[in-house]
Amino acid sequence: MNTMYRPVHAPDARVLPGVWKLLRLRLRISYNSFRHARIGRKIVMLVLWLMLFGFAFSLLVMSRVFLGWARSPEVIRYLGGDFKPFIDAIPVLTLTALFVGILLTSFGVLLQALYLSGDMDFLLATPVPIRAVFITKLFQAVLPNFGLTSLFGLPILFGLGLSGGYGFLYYPLVVIVMLALALSGAGLASLLVMLVVRVLPPRRAAEILGFIGALLAFSCNFGNAFGRDINPTGTQLAGLIMRANTPWLPLNWAGQGLVALGEGHWLVGLLLLGGTLALASLAFWFALVTAEQWFYSGWAGMQGVARRKTIRSKRISRTDAKNPISGLLYFIPTPVLGIVQKDFLTLRRDLRNLSQLISPVILGVIYTVSILRGGGEPPPGRGEAPGWFMDSFRVVLAYSSVGMSLFVGWMILSRLAGMGFSQEGKNYWMLKVSPVSAGHLLAAKFLVAYLPPLGLGLVFLTVISIVQKLSIFEFLYSLIAIIMCLAGCAGILLAFGALGANFTWSDPRRMNAGGLGCLGQFFTVLYVPISFGLFIVPIGLSGFLDVPILYGYLAGLLLGLGITVTCALVPLWLVQDKVERLNEE
Amino acid sequence: MPEILIETRNLIKRYGDKVAVDDVSFDVYQGEVFGFLGPNGAGKTTTIKVIVGLLQPTSGTVKVAGYDVQTQPMLAKASSGYVPDTPNLYAKLTGQELLRFVGDLYNMDRARVARRIDELLRMFDLTNAADDTVDSYSHGMQQKISLAAALMHDPKALILDEPTVGLDPKSARLIKDILRQLADRGAAVMLSTHILEIAERMCDRIGIINKGQLIAVGTMNELRTLDATGRTSLEDIFLSLTGGAEEAGIAEILK
Repeated sequence: MNTMYRPVHAPDARVLPGVWKLLRLRLRISYNSFRHARIGRKIVMLVLWLMLFGFAFSLLVMSRVFLGWARSPEVIRYLGGDFKPFIDAIPVLTLTALFVGILLTSFGVLLQALYLSGDMDFLLATPVPIRAVFITKLFQAVLPNFGLTSLFGLPILFGLGLSGGYGFLYYPLVVIVMLALALSGAGLASLLVMLVVRVLPPRRAAEILGFIGALLAFSCNFGNAFGRDINPTGTQLAGLIMRANTPWLPLNWAGQGLVALGEGHWLVGLLLLGGTLALASLAFWFALVTAEQWFYSGWAGMQGVARRKTIRSKRISRTDAKNPISGLLYFIPTPVLGIVQKDFLTLRRDLRNLSQLISPVILGVIYTVSILRGGGEPPPGRGEAPGWFMDSFRVVLAYSSVGMSLFVGWMILSRLAGMGFSQEGKNYWMLKVSPVSAGHLLAAKFLVAYLPPLGLGLVFLTVISIVQKLSIFEFLYSLIAIIMCLAGCAGILLAFGALGANFTWSDPRRMNAGGLGCLGQFFTVLYVPISFGLFIVPIGLSGFLDVPILYGYLAGLLLGLGITVTCALVPLWLVQDKVERLNEE
Repeated sequence: MPEILIETRNLIKRYGDKVAVDDVSFDVYQGEVFGFLGPNGAGKTTTIKVIVGLLQPTSGTVKVAGYDVQTQPMLAKASSGYVPDTPNLYAKLTGQELLRFVGDLYNMDRARVARRIDELLRMFDLTNAADDTVDSYSHGMQQKISLAAALMHDPKALILDEPTVGLDPKSARLIKDILRQLADRGAAVMLSTHILEIAERMCDRIGIINKGQLIAVGTMNELRTLDATGRTSLEDIFLSLTGGAEEAGIAEILK
């Protein structure tokens, strides 16, 4: 046997060449994905980049003009106030936002990069220094968010410098300070990630993060609309900002140092910036060394092999005499029941699914609260409107509030029905190889999509009926309208969801990959008001045409039932053959 | 004469210009373990996916337990069990829930489902993990629960794609024993594998596929007659038939 081996060259143990090598690899991957993208996508990306640069440039021009205007003696004299303390606080605010933003947003990216991307073992097994691997991962986490925050931060800070006539040194120092703060923020975030992963499996942590993210995003969106009472005024806000600009907070030193340097106070500026850079470097170095140690020693990954999630589930049985719905289950075929129960279990247990479903529920709750606060009574006006108009107006107003529960139901259906098939993902083979007919599969998916919004819609309807003081008759009529409108909506969305099903995703946020799901949503946006309108408009018209209201109800019922039953059944019937052949190339 | 439980006739599967499976015909009989061998990309997984109804063939027919997979899919699927090469399972279900779900899909009655779950969990040594979610299982455990799921309805034909990949020797042995027992009880077992030693020891007959074409089918003795050089090991026969003998020669020089 040949025992001659080529001597092994000592690998380059320097950190920076290692970092450069790994960064080049990331750049190569990005370049390859751009190169292999479709021409349309390439054009969209280029246009997007141009738009971003255009946005940054216009922000620079605007901030330069606005801040220059705010500094001018004429404006100060005219408005009778000095804006300088407020202007001086801008860098402090921008850099604090950058640091906090990077600290929070890097968490998710680092969780992905360190634990879920699957390349750590490969990288750590190569003769590249472990520190280089970690620095690259931090860069990887920082760069996208740094780019995004720089898009806003840099033009504002450069605009500030231009408007104040700051010296040349100010501009490169802005970039250096921003980068130092971003890296130290990412370093601290990596420690946070490891602390969390010590307690929770990485995938579970990602699910919880997604859930919290969805809640926060939704709260931010609707917080403004419903939190008017607690929003501070402009003067209060300015006072708050200036009070926060204290030299006692090390995070403020960077901004204050930049302003001091720009205004020619060299000693103060250099001291503050030196302090910032020293602290940021210390935080980055400490985080890097600790993270390396925790990762390499296995401390930050121990739970991953130690803990299992044990669940003892209670299953609804057809023979369970105590359960009121067990009798109904006799009418449902076993495979359908099995798929329904499986879907509800997986939907409930995966927080990533819950984060997609939570928004409509919150919206419904917020709207119900606002109705409760408003009382839901029609405005009395000046009493000049004819009686029939006021009656019709009251009916339409009452049913419009009922329509809110329909809107909440539509939002939930968009997720549950639109992605009913896609949510199976790579597990779809289990359904595909089993003897389940397309009809049974569609029936199961229909029930999974339909029952939760129906239940929620009924709760909202009951609350709204009590608040709006609807009669029993109006309540029952609304009930039928909601049951049927949601059924039609589920039929349309499920059919389009089946046509555009995507089973290849690994991130649930990318489940809806095709345009057909969006088309389903588009159609239901039209369908919901039309079908609901067909139920209620004849009631309003009966007053106008001076016919008994009962005829209005009958006409509404006939028209509404006609369209909703058609929409619930026909689309599903049309896609049955397609479902039979789903996921077959 | 034993009953034919898996039957493929002139099976062709094309992806555009590429022919993945080219005119493949073979039978798997009741009570036999049939090994399906071939180099990477030869068309093993595609053939298996067509047999279990995951892929539609371009032309040709497949029958499982006498039922045509294209025209009588429900009956064909009810007669077969499938274990894929990668066990993609519902991660958020527990092992027990997964098996119960499969029992429901095959329309099994509740008492039989409970009995089978108990039997299979014990057989695969998964009783202690029955209430753990599948995402907490090791690869080997996932492979075992996947096989348990395929056996829930006691299929007439069991089709397995690389069933022993990633298993420890104990689990691999367990699976081999179970497959042998199934065949002895009258089921047809078809498995694809890269491990020639498994095929040689376990399989009653072997089919070798290369570049989409079935180039040899038969017992070990029948395959030996195909090799002109008189070599006797399955590895030599396999390499000689699939054109890997040259690479084997180069490897010998490098030793």
